[in-house]
Amino acid sequence: MAGSEIASLKNPGLAGDVQFDTVIYGSPPLAYSALLSQFAIYNAPDPAYITGRINVSAFANIGGGATWPFLNTNLPLNGHVCIPRGRGPFPLAVFAHGNHNPTENSTPGYLYLCQLMASHGIIAATIDVNFLNGGNFGENDGRAIVHLEHLKQFRTWNGTAAHPLHGKVDLTRILIVGHSRGGEAVGHASLFNRLASIGAVVLDGLPPFALGPYRFGLTAAAAIAPTDRQFTPVTGPTVVPDSYYVIHGSKDSDVFTFEGYHTYERAHAVDLANSTVSDGKFKAMLWVHKANHNQFNSIWASETAPGVALTRANQEQVARVHLGALAQAVLLDRAEYLEVLRDHGAAATWDPAGTELVSQYQDPERVFVQHNQEGLVAPVVSLPVQGTVAADSVVAARQLTALVGGFATTTITLRLAWSALGSRLLLRVDPETLPAERYKVLALRVGQSTEVSNAANRDQDFTLEVSSGSRTAAIPASSLHRLLYPDPPPFGPAKIVMQALRLPVAQLVECGVDPSDLRSVALVFDRRATGTVYVGDLQFSN
Amino acid sequence: MQPPEPPKITAVDVVAAQPTEADSVAIAHLSAQTNKSLPQVAYVVKVKLKTKPPVTSMAWALYVDDVLIPKYWEYKDGIYFTVLDPQFFSDHKGKRLRFSQNGTDFHNTGMKLAAPPVAAVSTPKGKAARPKGKTARAKGRAARLPLQADVLK
Repeated sequence: MAGSEIASLKNPGLAGDVQFDTVIYGSPPLAYSALLSQFAIYNAPDPAYITGRINVSAFANIGGGATWPFLNTNLPLNGHVCIPRGRGPFPLAVFAHGNHNPTENSTPGYLYLCQLMASHGIIAATIDVNFLNGGNFGENDGRAIVHLEHLKQFRTWNGTAAHPLHGKVDLTRILIVGHSRGGEAVGHASLFNRLASIGAVVLDGLPPFALGPYRFGLTAAAAIAPTDRQFTPVTGPTVVPDSYYVIHGSKDSDVFTFEGYHTYERAHAVDLANSTVSDGKFKAMLWVHKANHNQFNSIWASETAPGVALTRANQEQVARVHLGALAQAVLLDRAEYLEVLRDHGAAATWDPAGTELVSQYQDPERVFVQHNQEGLVAPVVSLPVQGTVAADSVVAARQLTALVGGFATTTITLRLAWSALGSRLLLRVDPETLPAERYKVLALRVGQSTEVSNAANRDQDFTLEVSSGSRTAAIPASSLHRLLYPDPPPFGPAKIVMQALRLPVAQLVECGVDPSDLRSVALVFDRRATGTVYVGDLQFSN
Repeated sequence: MQPPEPPKITAVDVVAAQPTEADSVAIAHLSAQTNKSLPQVAYVVKVKLKTKPPVTSMAWALYVDDVLIPKYWEYKDGIYFTVLDPQFFSDHKGKRLRFSQNGTDFHNTGMKLAAPPVAAVSTPKGKAARPKGKTARAKGRAARLPLQADVLK
């Protein structure tokens, strides 16, 4: 997308022109104790928005950290929803919080995002899952079920002739967003949404549990600073089947390893048996330097000392801009806002000045030149593209390094280390096997580590050389994006978060390179005397 | 800022209790899956903590040796989990309890999994009227066990 086209877009973090109303929905009567006085608001919901109760006893227990006026067999569906005025139908976005002191109501903490979305014509709700908060573990399947049951409530209202939301909810365009454990849970919800049963629980809406059926038209699942694998299905770690977006801060002192990155890596990963086949979904990631955990929720007190993290206003602005762009793209059919997901630089004038970001994007349409997932062997060009790999003065080694901490990774990255200017990794390809002309960009992801070969606090850089026969384009990586030095974490090792570099094919053509006769791609380390970078997913893509 | 410390366990206690309705559904499902008849008992494993850790999203996963306890819950003295298949105790009693946040680095708590009470589901002879039928008898025995809510008081 041309810069002028981006410039013509409105900041998705700013309120739109649509008027909206905010209502509270809930399942009264609920005799909350004085300790739970923050929840009394759910005792007086809008009379048109009375909800039923749900039974999650097959998934979760409650009551450890607070005495609730209900059991896990009759949990209330409480929430706040911002409803655009007008006939609709409007897309739906539903937010869920994560684990926190259960006596503090975490639910209103995403109203700032709901209000933004509603002002652009999206019904946006934030839901009460506080009863699952406390010193628990493994309950994130229960959080997913609560999230899906709220969607079911909106479907019920949409189908109820006398209800104010009758016919107003576009059930084919739904975004689920979760923060923290709620962020892990949206991944499970995306999976459960497609299932007929979970273990002994049949999702048919019938007793004994009366959960489901779901089968919603989820357009994307978005996770804010999520956990990962606190709940693991019997089939193995959840692979999110819908388009997936994750945002996380480098100063997160709660989820202090970048857990969502593991979810991101598992989603829409290369299928070695069918590496050219796409499931039609995208995934995108945003790593926000100096964002912490709690400030994504406007209620939660910051967990970091003053001055360590972004200001709350700036962190919320980052969330507004980037989740706003996601919502514009996937819910309002404003595909031009996908550019913010493809390249966070597109939002540079909308983000708070000086904000440092790292982003990745994987388009459903792509052909890998080198994905590295063939195994821990010498690097090769990935089939069906054919070619050879030559390392000249570069130590090139595939490895299963958990770049961002947390659980052991299953994604192989290529580590490249050099100690002399002019070192290079050269991939020669057979142009007959690489239809580069069908795609818009040459993309790869690259991140520098804190190893001594990288100068502290200095961007890393190299040159991308792309050649077709006698014509070669030499493009500095830094002209595409900064390769930031890792931000020091609150504790533990620094995370190596790779930045996606997207070189437009049109730029190659301007340099005289014929994409239909592409012969080689080289990473030439001629801009820093020494360095160590991790590289992955070299591909032609859209 | 310091990384979180794993909680310290001061005692481990196993109590046989009545299964909840959800437990009973799970017991039936598990019985069908394993092709064995499981008792109508929920063994509540109470793990008493010296101090409860702060409520955060990151959590300490609890392991019995190398086996992850998939879910645990808070109660007034610490955390607890339930076991529906007594084979679990045959396989793991006496094994060390460990905490981990990433499945790789483990913190040994110095405590071991206790065995369940031997006569948890035995019925004193000649006491109470025997319900008719195998299921009814099992439910009758279970009914003499305490409620989980009472066990956790």
